[in-house]
Amino acid sequence: MDLSLTESQQMLKDTIRRLMERECTATRLKEIEASDTGFPADIWESLAKIGLVGLSIPEEFGGGGGSYEDLGVLYYELGRACAPTPHFSSGVLCAQILVEAGSPAQKAELLPRIASGDLILALALTEQDFGWEADQVALTATKQGDSYVLQGTKVFVPDAQVAHKLIVAARTPGGVSLFLVDAGSPGLSVRNVTGFIGGRLNEITLDSVKVPASAVVGVVGGAAPVLDLVLARSAPVLAAYMVGGSEMAFEITRDYAGTRVAFGAPIGTFQRVQDHIIEIVNAMDAARWTTNEALWKIDNNKPDWRIGASLAKAMASEAFTTATHHSHEVLAGLGSVKDHPIHHYTTMSRTLYWYLGEPKLHRQKLADLLEL
Amino acid sequence: MDFEMHYTEEQEKFRAEVSAWLDVNMPPEAVRPVDEGRKPPGLSDAAMSLRRRLGAKGWLCPLWPKEYGGGDLPVEQAVIIGEELDGRHAFLPYDLGVILIAPAIMVWGTDDQKRRFLPPILSGEILTWQVFTEPEAGTDLASLKLRADKEGDHYVLNGQKTFIGSDYRADWLYTLAVTDQNRPRHSNIGAFIVPANSPGVTISPMELIAGQNKNNIYYDNVRVSRDQLIGGEFDGWKVANSTLELEHGGASRMVEGHFVDLLLAYCRRATRNGQPLSKDPAVRDALVEIWMGAQVERLFNWRNYWMRTSKIPWSWEGCQTALFRKQSEPRVAHRVLDILGPYALTTDPKLQALRGEIENQQRMSIMSHPGGTPEAQKIVMARRIGIAKTRQKASAIV
Repeated sequence: MDLSLTESQQMLKDTIRRLMERECTATRLKEIEASDTGFPADIWESLAKIGLVGLSIPEEFGGGGGSYEDLGVLYYELGRACAPTPHFSSGVLCAQILVEAGSPAQKAELLPRIASGDLILALALTEQDFGWEADQVALTATKQGDSYVLQGTKVFVPDAQVAHKLIVAARTPGGVSLFLVDAGSPGLSVRNVTGFIGGRLNEITLDSVKVPASAVVGVVGGAAPVLDLVLARSAPVLAAYMVGGSEMAFEITRDYAGTRVAFGAPIGTFQRVQDHIIEIVNAMDAARWTTNEALWKIDNNKPDWRIGASLAKAMASEAFTTATHHSHEVLAGLGSVKDHPIHHYTTMSRTLYWYLGEPKLHRQKLADLLEL
Repeated sequence: MDFEMHYTEEQEKFRAEVSAWLDVNMPPEAVRPVDEGRKPPGLSDAAMSLRRRLGAKGWLCPLWPKEYGGGDLPVEQAVIIGEELDGRHAFLPYDLGVILIAPAIMVWGTDDQKRRFLPPILSGEILTWQVFTEPEAGTDLASLKLRADKEGDHYVLNGQKTFIGSDYRADWLYTLAVTDQNRPRHSNIGAFIVPANSPGVTISPMELIAGQNKNNIYYDNVRVSRDQLIGGEFDGWKVANSTLELEHGGASRMVEGHFVDLLLAYCRRATRNGQPLSKDPAVRDALVEIWMGAQVERLFNWRNYWMRTSKIPWSWEGCQTALFRKQSEPRVAHRVLDILGPYALTTDPKLQALRGEIENQQRMSIMSHPGGTPEAQKIVMARRIGIAKTRQKASAIV
C-alpha cells in the first residue's frame, strides 16, 4: 500500500499549480465570467503548450498517454483554481469517445488536433427528459441517401459555444448513435443558458442539420455502451476537480477565520465557526480518498471500478456543495460580493453537482451494483 | 498510488507460520463475542491464555525490542500477525498497557522503570488499565482531583476514578493524580504506576447498558513509592498527552467494516411481504447510505495506516477518523431502526437479526464517549487545522 503520488505526478502537480496561480487569478476569473463565451483562450493555450490538453490521449495520436490517476492530478489543480476550460468536454469526454469508438480515420484526423488544443469538441447528450442514459435521447437522425438529417434540441450542454465540433447523440433505427457535427453547420444554433451557473451551459437546436454518413462515430445504433463506459470512467476525473475546489474553499475559509476579528478575537477561535470548517474538512477528505481509490481502480482494471466511480462522484458532489455552503456561513456578507473568489467555486459546485449524475442517481447505481 | 497490500514470498511464508501457530495455540473459545458485556462461558480464560501465549512468542508487541518483551519484527510481519488474528476474529482481554502505557514509559520512564515495567506489559504477563477519568473530570481531564500527597519517599493517594477498565482484573493502575494542590492546572499532575493490589484500593464494577464492563476505583490512603512515578512530579499532563493521539483514533489499522457487509447480506436474504427487504426503494437508499459511510471510514483508516507506516506526520487525521466513526454509528443505528423496526432491538433467540449483532449495534451506537466525545474530537481538530486559540501539533507516535 502506498497512497503517495509518484515523483512525476508530483512534478506535474507542481507545474499545474504554478501555472494556475500565475494565469488563473481571481481577477482573471472575474474577467472570464464577464466575457461573451467564458472561454479563457490564454489559459487554454498555456495548458496546450505543455501537453496538458491531450494528457489522457494515447501517445500515438499526439497525446500524453497519461493514466486516470494523472488526469486526477490535473483535475485537482484545475479545480483548486476553479478554471473554467472546455478541457473536460474536449480532452476527456469527446477524446475518450473517439478513442473507444472512433474509426481509424476519425482518430487520426481529430485526436492530434484535440491534443494540441486547436480543435475543441463538446458532447451534446442531455435533453428535456434529463438524464445520462442513451434511453433518454429523443433527438432524431433520419437517413437520407448517404446522409443523416438531425432534428431536435439539446439542453444544459457545457462548452457548445466554444466548440468547433459537437458529438451529438441521436436516435436512429435500432438505438442511439453518435454524430460528429460541425458547430457552424446550417440549421445548428447555440444559445447561452443564464442563471446560478458555473462555466457556460448551452441549449443547442438542430433544425434539419445534414451530416454525411462518415460523421457517425462507432456503430450505428451502438452508442449506449460507449456512452455508458466513457461517462462512468470520467466521473472520478470530474470528482477530482470537485475535491480541488473543496480544498480551495477550505483554504479561503480557514485563512479568513484566522484573520477576521470579531468580539475581540479571530472568529476561528469560536467553536460555532470551527464547526463549519470541520464540516468542510471532513467532506473534502471523504471525497478525496473515494476519488483517489476510484481512479486507481480504473487504472488497475479492478472488477468493481464502477462501484468506486459512482461512490466518488456521489461523495464529491456532496463535498463541493457542502464545502462552499459552510464557506459562505463563515464568510457571511463578504462571500456574496462578486469581487470575492468564493462565488466562482459556489456556482461551479452547484453546476457540477448534477453533471454526469447527481448523488441520487449514483446511489441508485450503487444499489444495483451492490445487488440490492 | 496503490490501495493494495503486497507481500513477498518470504512474508507469505511468515503468514503460513503464524497461521499454523494459531491453529495450535489459539483456544477455539477466544473469538470476539457479539456483545462484550455478555461474554460466553470460557471466553475470559481463553482470551487470557491467547494473550499470554502471544506475549511469550513476542507476537503481542511484535514491533518492540526483544529486551523489553517485544518481537523485534519488521512492520510488514506485525501487519501479518494482526491480519491473521483479525481473520479469526480473535479476542484479547482489555488492556491499555500495550497500546498507551508502554509508549509513555518508553518516552518518560527511567532506565530502571523501563526494565521493571516494560517486559511484563509487553510480554502479556500483566494487565494495565489507564486510570484517568473521574466523576467530575471527563473531557476536561485536567480538572481531575485525585490527590497524591508527598510523604517522604512515598505519595499517598486519595479519591475516586470512574469508567475504568473492564471485567478482566488489572494488575497495574496507570493513575493520574494531583501532586501539588497549589500549582496551576496542567502542571500539577503526576503519572503513577499503582499496583492494583495495594492496600486501600477498592475496585467496584459499574452496570452499563452497552459494551464491556467498567469500574469505579476508590483510593483510600494508598501508598505509592516515588520510583513508581513516570516522568517528573509535575509532568503527568505531558506524559498523558504523549499517547492521547493513539487513543483518539490514532491506533490505525486496516480493519474492514464487517458490520455493513453482514447487514447488506441480511437484507438481501430476509423477506417482508413476499419480497427481499433490500428491494424496498427506501431500504435500498438507506443501505447505500450506510455502505457509503463505511467506505469513507475504511479509506480514512487506510490513509492513517499508510501515513503512519510511511512516517508522514499527522495533522487532523486521527481525530477526524474518530469523529467520523462516532458520528456515523448513531446515524447507522437510526437507519437500521427504519429498515428493521422491532427486529433491530431484540436479542430473543427466535426473533433477533444476525445473532444479536444488530441489537448490539443499536446499544453501542450511544457509546460515543470512550476516548473523547465527538465534541472533544472537534476541539482537537480545530487546533490541528490551525484556527483555535491553542495551536497544537499531533503528538509523536511511538
